[in-house]
Amino acid sequence: MTRGIGHAPIPRCHMTTAATLRRITPYLLVGFPIVILFVLVAYPMLYNVNLSLHNTRGEFVGLHNFARVFDDPTFGAALQATAIYVVLAVGTELLLGLALALYIHRTIANATVRALVYVLLIVPMVTPPVVAGVIARLMYTPNYGIINSILRGLGLIHKDILWLSTGPTAMFSVLSVDIWQWTPFVFLVCFAGLQAVPQDVVEASKVDGAGGWNLFRLIEFPYLKSLLLLLVIFRFTDTFRVFDHVLVLTAGGPGAATEFISVYLYRVAFKFFDLGYAAAIGFYVVIVTSVLFSRLSRWLATEGVM
Amino acid sequence: MTLAVLLVVLALVVSALPIGAQGALPPKPDKLTMAVVAGGETKGLKAILPTWEKEKGVKVELVEFPYPQLYEKLVTTFQANAATYDLLIADDPWMPKFGAEGWLTPLDQEFGYKRDADIYPVVYDLGTWPPPRGPVPPGEKSKAAHLYAITLVGNVEFFMYRKDLVSEPKTWDDVIANAKKVHNPQTPMFGMVLRGAKGNPVISEFTPVLLSFGGKIFDDNWKVVLNSKESVAALKFFAKDLKQYAPPGVENYDAAERAREVATGRAAQGFIWPAEITDIVENPSVSKVVGKLGYTLAPKGPGNMNGPLIGNWLLAIPKSAKNKRWAYEFILWATSAAVQKPYALGGGIPFRKSVLLDADMNKKFAFFKAMAASLDAPAQWRPRTQEWNAVETILGTHVNAALAGIETPEDAIAKAATEIEKNMREKGYYK
Repeated sequence: MTRGIGHAPIPRCHMTTAATLRRITPYLLVGFPIVILFVLVAYPMLYNVNLSLHNTRGEFVGLHNFARVFDDPTFGAALQATAIYVVLAVGTELLLGLALALYIHRTIANATVRALVYVLLIVPMVTPPVVAGVIARLMYTPNYGIINSILRGLGLIHKDILWLSTGPTAMFSVLSVDIWQWTPFVFLVCFAGLQAVPQDVVEASKVDGAGGWNLFRLIEFPYLKSLLLLLVIFRFTDTFRVFDHVLVLTAGGPGAATEFISVYLYRVAFKFFDLGYAAAIGFYVVIVTSVLFSRLSRWLATEGVM
Repeated sequence: MTLAVLLVVLALVVSALPIGAQGALPPKPDKLTMAVVAGGETKGLKAILPTWEKEKGVKVELVEFPYPQLYEKLVTTFQANAATYDLLIADDPWMPKFGAEGWLTPLDQEFGYKRDADIYPVVYDLGTWPPPRGPVPPGEKSKAAHLYAITLVGNVEFFMYRKDLVSEPKTWDDVIANAKKVHNPQTPMFGMVLRGAKGNPVISEFTPVLLSFGGKIFDDNWKVVLNSKESVAALKFFAKDLKQYAPPGVENYDAAERAREVATGRAAQGFIWPAEITDIVENPSVSKVVGKLGYTLAPKGPGNMNGPLIGNWLLAIPKSAKNKRWAYEFILWATSAAVQKPYALGGGIPFRKSVLLDADMNKKFAFFKAMAASLDAPAQWRPRTQEWNAVETILGTHVNAALAGIETPEDAIAKAATEIEKNMREKGYYK
């Protein structure tokens, strides 16, 4: 019995260790994220399921909490107010942000001025929403609020507008804070997208007589489309769960005029301490957002974005 | 024989001592941690803490939370059974929740606390669970009543008026007559200021009006009786008759805005809580009307009753606290007659009769007499149910909507009654 040179025997124990390591490595690699996912997502979700099936006395009530939603006019009103807020906030932010990006891109070439614009526009984004809410509350206050003072000074009003006292003006007030804070985000993303538009194509189209609108529609928009759709997703997610500045500015009032889903959920969970019902409402929110997201994702896929 | 007498005397002396006072105190803890509300309510407490620390050698660390967050923090701490706090101060409407859940240490049972005739009975009633009078929540009736908390801040809501401009109002008719006399938005001088922000603020303001009109939220069996002609009349009066003399935008006014209107001389009448008086309206550094204000009981309405609302802040010890015995020592010390005077002089709101009725103290604090009268009326408490927070949130949303003109008083009362009833049913108050 001979053994060829170069074929030194591998000790059995080494072979076993290496093979074992090779065998378990995939499990380790997959297992770690699974554990993280379980702790951060699955466990809270299962805990939420358990909560939603019990009443405040800890008794099992089946799907009762889910059925309560259909007999709860406040939930319906909150959903409606949220929808109005999301549509108006996202729509306005996209339009304003895009318009601003186009304006700066086309009219300001100086790098220093552009840098100054970036810095100025980042300020609202880094302002904590609670602080933004407090500042807005002072600005909208009748008697000494700066907004009424300016309008009076300009001769546009003779009597203070009670911004936070009627449904439409209170909605406008909370919207204005969101728009002030997040239009710069849309601007920055669109502005970055515009830098990718090849200048030779732009120059060529101008030579061919393309005006501002056609330049945007036919040349710049195709480069921005995917970014705009992603912006819709980001802003939709953020506005759907808007909470901080609303609580400070109107607390959901007057009445329930600005009581969005997140504010209502907070009220049910931490004012009523009706955790079962809050968990059920949370599930509905997940369902609504999941359906909207799947539709949006499908749309993005057909547009070649995702 | 002599030995027997000695033993009897010894037994009598020992039995006269409160249980907690028996034996030596446990070793001093490093500190006592106390959850408190942020704001003027703790001014007096902060003033007496250095004396306590000097006398007893135990530091008291205050952890401050804004009003809405304090309740949430305490509830979540109790639910987790965490020994985060040795002491807390709680708004008295929270007592039903804390009492029913068994989250607090019974001071009489565990330490043998003895009642003091110098303290108004309503103060002890507030800290007792189940409540010694009025309806008791289902499931709580069989429990033995114990004292779980003692007042630190003797807050009670009463009425203020500019005594240099109007006469003392005894009834709501007087209030309207006074308002008519001085109201002139051009000056500006408003006849009445309201704290109308949604939730707790507007309900603190509306409840005395509701009670004075003979309205009620519940009957003695927790049946919702809010939807009555008295309640609708009270809300009409509140949202229309009183509001017409109020500054624009009161739908969003909280205590700070109300006190500011009075302190800047723009409003002639309104409800007030004691902390706003020492902090703002009688504070010479921020107020233009120091010495010009009179204080009186909440006015009577058609129901022929005053409805001064009590809102004491109570000292209590969580069941899961680490240093209960020292926490109890602090409660006894802080609420003692000897400490209540320096506490009041330091800006605290006292609750003892001897301090509120003291002639010298009344010279310094003109509102003490009105406070004493309000506590003795007796002051009205919020219905003693764990559901008060939910009830207040629901009613506070609709009363605010009526004040803003979004809902009619009839609609607001009807909707609030339906939603409150639905909530109480969900929580097992009805079969």
